[in-house]
Amino acid sequence: MLIRPVAEDLRVIGFYMGRISLVVAGASLLPLAWAGIAREWNPFGSFLMMTGVFALLGVIGVRLAPKESELDWSHGMVVVALTWLIVPVIGAIPLLLSGHFGRPLDALFDAMSGLTTTGLSLLSDVDHLASSLNFWRHFLQFLGGQGIILAALTIFAGTGGITLYFGEARDERILPSVTSTARFIWAVSVVHLIFGVTALGLVGWLVLGFDLDRSLFHGLMIFFAGFDTGGFSPQSTSIGYYHSAIFEGVTALLMVAGAMSFGLHYALWRGPRRSVFANLETRTILSTFGFTMVLTLLGLAATGLFVDVAGLTRQGFFQVLSAHTGTGFSTVPSAELAKWGGLAFGGMAIAMALGGMGSSTAGGVKSLRIGLTIKAVVNQIRQVLLPEHALVGTAYHQSGRKHLTPALIQSVMIVSLLYVALYLLGAGMGLAYGIPLQASLFESVSASANVGLSVGVTDPSMPILLELVYMLQMWAGRLEFVAVFSLLGFVYSWVRGK
Amino acid sequence: MGEGQVRRLVRFTFLATLFLLLPAPASAAEEVSVPEVLELGAELAGEEVTVEGELVGDYGVRDDGSMWTQLNGDAYAHRPIREGNLPVGANVGIALRMPVEQTEALDPPGGYRHRGPIVRVTGVWKYHDSRRPGESYLEVRSLTITEPGRQLDEEVDLTPVVVGALLMVGAGIIALLTRSED
Repeated sequence: MLIRPVAEDLRVIGFYMGRISLVVAGASLLPLAWAGIAREWNPFGSFLMMTGVFALLGVIGVRLAPKESELDWSHGMVVVALTWLIVPVIGAIPLLLSGHFGRPLDALFDAMSGLTTTGLSLLSDVDHLASSLNFWRHFLQFLGGQGIILAALTIFAGTGGITLYFGEARDERILPSVTSTARFIWAVSVVHLIFGVTALGLVGWLVLGFDLDRSLFHGLMIFFAGFDTGGFSPQSTSIGYYHSAIFEGVTALLMVAGAMSFGLHYALWRGPRRSVFANLETRTILSTFGFTMVLTLLGLAATGLFVDVAGLTRQGFFQVLSAHTGTGFSTVPSAELAKWGGLAFGGMAIAMALGGMGSSTAGGVKSLRIGLTIKAVVNQIRQVLLPEHALVGTAYHQSGRKHLTPALIQSVMIVSLLYVALYLLGAGMGLAYGIPLQASLFESVSASANVGLSVGVTDPSMPILLELVYMLQMWAGRLEFVAVFSLLGFVYSWVRGK
Repeated sequence: MGEGQVRRLVRFTFLATLFLLLPAPASAAEEVSVPEVLELGAELAGEEVTVEGELVGDYGVRDDGSMWTQLNGDAYAHRPIREGNLPVGANVGIALRMPVEQTEALDPPGGYRHRGPIVRVTGVWKYHDSRRPGESYLEVRSLTITEPGRQLDEEVDLTPVVVGALLMVGAGIIALLTRSED
């Protein structure tokens, strides 16, 4: 029998959402301070309003403190799914009040795209946008890439911390406690922040000839969007704005660091480093990157758009890396990307769909699932070919020796199939609106895998239903379905339960 | 009027008529819009073109004596959203590379506080240039400022500030009540 949630369940959910809301209110003070220092008074007002809403919801939620129950698995999943819906809604307030969006839904689209580190955008005239609003867009990607819940867990954990941690699409606990794991992830990010902003700022100042303050501004924005594989940029021409191979190189390093699992970061920090390359996940991502890179380069060569190998390799490499890491930066305009047909389109679409590593800031199916799927298929073929009673090895290496169990295969297959279904959902919707198959599929995969590369379908004039579908894809793709289905189950129980 | 003068007059009249009747010699630089440059990218490769638009972003002065910036030819080039234009889509821009001497008279580039100078530039469209592997940009030969840049003033709307302050006060009161109940 389906049991209807009771008031105590709502108190538990409300209490934890309140605590998370207070943490986000605290984070909102940063863009507020930025707007004040930059004397951008209209954005300042809108940030004050947003912070006020987060703070008010936070204290109301905390007042709901449950008397008996504690956060269980289903509560945790509902908290995560709702948090990833409510934060974009409130976070869209400054974007909406900026006047850079035609419809309120467009501002929400950008907030959802920012938080889920997708990078698709409906913002008009970014080249005249206030610096504080640009900071907020990129900071949203940083918050979303790290994980809002993770940010909250760094400050409080409690008994339900582990549920919240796993609900945000993380499948490995690096250190014994959730709080210490969360703090380790922040430590890695801060080290990369210092390195990334310094390197990009120096390149901007010394090589590109920007003013020092503008160099640091560009460095900070590109760090947030690069390390957290988000893909927003402070100028309309993305990384193509900088016209610098060195700048692209530093950005590429940040994208790779962002697409690496934090478990891998831990192994690289603490050693032994050599074992990292024995991991199934590392081998899979290196193989799929090589495969999609070759596919795209061959396709690009066939298009005849490039007159020399160096240009073809530089542009092809950057675009494929951006697609595979789920970042969405580009050095060519959308109009040109739309002309990448045939193998080049195939290579890019496959790279986006596969995504980065698990427990990273990247989206997509994820390399470990791809590796395990291939291993399961190979084992199945070997089982058929070998004599009936022959034993087929099921071991694989991933931070130690592990076994491929039927339950693991099932879970991997289910999530992978759900991603395929999600890719087809947006593609089908695009086709229904008369958008060509190639463009529909490209944009749909880009939204679902939280990449952000666009061939021009995402535009303020796009149909509202298609916009809603892309938002759903970004949300479900970022949370890897479990929390989303838990929320749907919770609502269903509320309506139909007894 | 002597014979020589008549001959000169006839020759002048003939040449003047010919000048007026014949089509004007085609200009070396084709006049195109920024969206056309992006759309026709490969077809315009190596061509001399003239484009008009707003300079935005930064003026990046490099060691080789060149300056890089972005030229936007979109709906916001003449009137950014802050001056009341409607949000109708993304910016449309191309990169410009020019000798730094050409940039001395330029107002600050467009951004939140400035509408950048509107310029008319003529140059060679480098499409996936092999000297700068794969990059596309306009190598500027001449630049004319058609409209100087201007500062964009901010008319402050106090409503969000008041609403935000009230929300913060409300949150503070509820927090105090919760603490006193505990």
